[in-house]
Amino acid sequence: MPALSFALRRVLRGIVTIWFAVTVTFLLLRLLPGDPALAVASTNMTEETRQALLVQYGLDQPLPVQYVLYLGQLLQGNLGVSFTQSVPVVDVLLARLPWTLLLTFAALAITIVVGVPLGVLAASRRGGALDRAVQIVGVTAQSLFVPSVGIVLLLVFGLGLRLLPIGGAYEDGVYGFAWYGSVLQHLILPAVSLALIQLGAFALTMRATLIDALGDDYVTLAKANGLPYRRILWKHALRNALLPATTLIGLQLGFVVGGAVLTETVFAYPGIGRGIYEAVTQLDFPVLQGAFLLLAVTVVLANMLTDLVYGLLDPRVKTA
Amino acid sequence: MRIPARTRTVAVALAATAALALSACAPQAPEEGENGASDVTLTIATTTDVVNYNPLVGNSRSDYWVTNLMYPHLLTIGDDGSKAAELATDWGYVDDTTGFYEIRDDMTWSDGEALDAEDVAYTMNAVKRDAPAGTFYGQLANFESAEAVDDTRVEITLTQPDSSIVEEIGFWGNVVPQHVFEPAGSVAEFANDGADGWVSAGPYLLTDVQAGQSYTMERVDDYPLVEGGQPVSAQVVFRVYPDVNTEILALQSGEVDVIANSLPPAQVETLRNSPGIEVAEVTGLGYSHMVYNMDNPDLAKLEVRQALAQTVDYDAIRDVVLQGQGVSTGSSPLMPVLADYYDDSITDYEYDPDAARALMEEAGYQASADGAFPVSFRLIYSLQDPVTSQWAQLVQEQAAEAGITIELAGAERNTYLAQTDAGDYDIYAGNFAIMDDPVTNFTLSYLPGGAINYTHVDDPELTELVQRAAVSFDEEEKIGIMREAAQIVHEQVYDNVMYTQNLYVAHSDQWDGFVSKPSELLSIVNPVSIAGAFPVEG
Repeated sequence: MPALSFALRRVLRGIVTIWFAVTVTFLLLRLLPGDPALAVASTNMTEETRQALLVQYGLDQPLPVQYVLYLGQLLQGNLGVSFTQSVPVVDVLLARLPWTLLLTFAALAITIVVGVPLGVLAASRRGGALDRAVQIVGVTAQSLFVPSVGIVLLLVFGLGLRLLPIGGAYEDGVYGFAWYGSVLQHLILPAVSLALIQLGAFALTMRATLIDALGDDYVTLAKANGLPYRRILWKHALRNALLPATTLIGLQLGFVVGGAVLTETVFAYPGIGRGIYEAVTQLDFPVLQGAFLLLAVTVVLANMLTDLVYGLLDPRVKTA
Repeated sequence: MRIPARTRTVAVALAATAALALSACAPQAPEEGENGASDVTLTIATTTDVVNYNPLVGNSRSDYWVTNLMYPHLLTIGDDGSKAAELATDWGYVDDTTGFYEIRDDMTWSDGEALDAEDVAYTMNAVKRDAPAGTFYGQLANFESAEAVDDTRVEITLTQPDSSIVEEIGFWGNVVPQHVFEPAGSVAEFANDGADGWVSAGPYLLTDVQAGQSYTMERVDDYPLVEGGQPVSAQVVFRVYPDVNTEILALQSGEVDVIANSLPPAQVETLRNSPGIEVAEVTGLGYSHMVYNMDNPDLAKLEVRQALAQTVDYDAIRDVVLQGQGVSTGSSPLMPVLADYYDDSITDYEYDPDAARALMEEAGYQASADGAFPVSFRLIYSLQDPVTSQWAQLVQEQAAEAGITIELAGAERNTYLAQTDAGDYDIYAGNFAIMDDPVTNFTLSYLPGGAINYTHVDDPELTELVQRAAVSFDEEEKIGIMREAAQIVHEQVYDNVMYTQNLYVAHSDQWDGFVSKPSELLSIVNPVSIAGAFPVEG
């Protein structure tokens, strides 16, 4: 029962968080200077056309009425219709979601595959040259600005060496199995760029927790029993050190999602991030509301999942 | 470690199944054409997605470029600013309140339906009825209705005489297929998102959309406006990039063949000297300007506006910021490209800080000990417009030399639009992409209630002249009246046109045959140009 209560509390907290995100997004968009009718219309638009557009968008209603109508729509699973494209927001987002998911998971995979060994190597050679190198690289990676990294990668690998494409998610005119190769080729630069955002923090956290774990009594006991150091390191200490890193992955998902907006924009990657960028310039409120809702749900779900997994991995958490 | 044979077999079978499944999920190659035409693809870079596939609503450049390849205009424009035939072969007036278009009889929609006068009349009437937000509706102020007199002749009835409207409607309005748009209801709300496919009477038909990535268009077999009656490239693909700089990288790396957006001034010479790249010049049809808000009591004084106009070193701005690509219009909205209207007796405001000081004193202002007059003006501009952002700083510095304080208030585009709409500025800096018809331009810019009357000017003499030109069907008389009106705008500093800018677009030297038309909207990505472009052999 404590486990069920723990899960319920997390779900409730998630729902409240999503409602809060929905409300803040709704209000912030309407606080933005500018007028969606002006953003889409031509310079010779008449006042009548403008008013008709505002009525069409539902922006002629008082703010509380707009809010209640919007919440009512959401509860029915309706995200509304794009101001500029006149198509359901769900269609706009679903066309882009697969690319953002692919990019995000690829970046997470790179972070884990590269970050874990880096952290382990640094911890196992604490104070050595390799440890210092990992610390320098880690801190530097944390400080990088995504667009700058992206542009440098584009210049070097896209234009200079011509090894990888400049933008997009695949090459037009490529079909069948070769299409997957093209997708992979186009994924490399944005995924690496996005992975760099969190790689530093992940490797440094890995290093710190592993150093703690290596000082624990069970490690001393294992050494005394004559177990090989590599086995102690990778099989025993690493398992315990992975718990905080798991939490970090969940927490960092928010940064990854935020980073995806910039990464997709720099690499012309057709995901939700680039969609957000374009919707902002057009003040397309329904698309922005839908996109931020989707991102909020993703982050809340990831955090919830992390809590639940952590609860499974560490029974002490269940009653916390 | 040995893997048992059975496990290996299962693994291989699973891998093969996965490969087949993946292959099946991937996009499949289209079937080969059978007409022996070329199978080349022309790839064009753009910086924005297509927002709206309905050309009666669409407003962004990408919307325009893509939908223009499917929905023809009645008229196009020549390098001398005069309107030219496209779908229409003849046009004009039956009487003061009746216009007409004769259209080609050899155009068909890609689904086999004939494109006839009914489509043209339906389009105009639907736009008037539903008032979509695009530019087309703005041209219909004096339009009452259109009627298909026969298969190739449309007549339009006006609410009052208007000597510009036939050419303006013909130039700005796309013609859409009645049999597709009418069942959808309001043309203001119809997304035309291709749920049942698109229909085209242009050289290409949109067949595949990957939002954020690319827009693929297939050749239409019969397009009589291009030599040979068929477009050269089998496919045209618009690829989306985040900005012009990335587009340039893509052109240099060979990913794209053409950049649709005009190049920033600083990149023109660099690309001219880049191997494998050609830079084409496109006549500009718009201008950059500053406007002084006469609702401000200081700016309501002619001497103050004249003083401000004399604080600007126009040559320096055109040479330094525009890298010599800016062309003087004589500080007049009648640009040289509009050859019939251009009046070379109107010249640039002279850059003379001392004269500006004298004018301020004449207006009753006394400079303080440090030479500054007790006035400060807030200048708004869009931060998304890098060229204006640069010259706005020069304007500020140069005004300071004459003792006039200008406070720069660059803002994000939507904020800038809202400020402009609310009249929340002293000086407005910005630009217009296309000002193809002087009478329309003056009506919108300088008449009370005009949609872009940012000066908030209400000058009865100017209003009377523009209104007279609007109903003058004698071309010579009309030109004379407009020159007189331009003289007033210049003398009264109702507008301060800084320059008109010819544009430059880049394409791969592996392609040729582009046909340039004025403005960034048409440039070398207009239908005839794209349909006729061909790869250079060898």
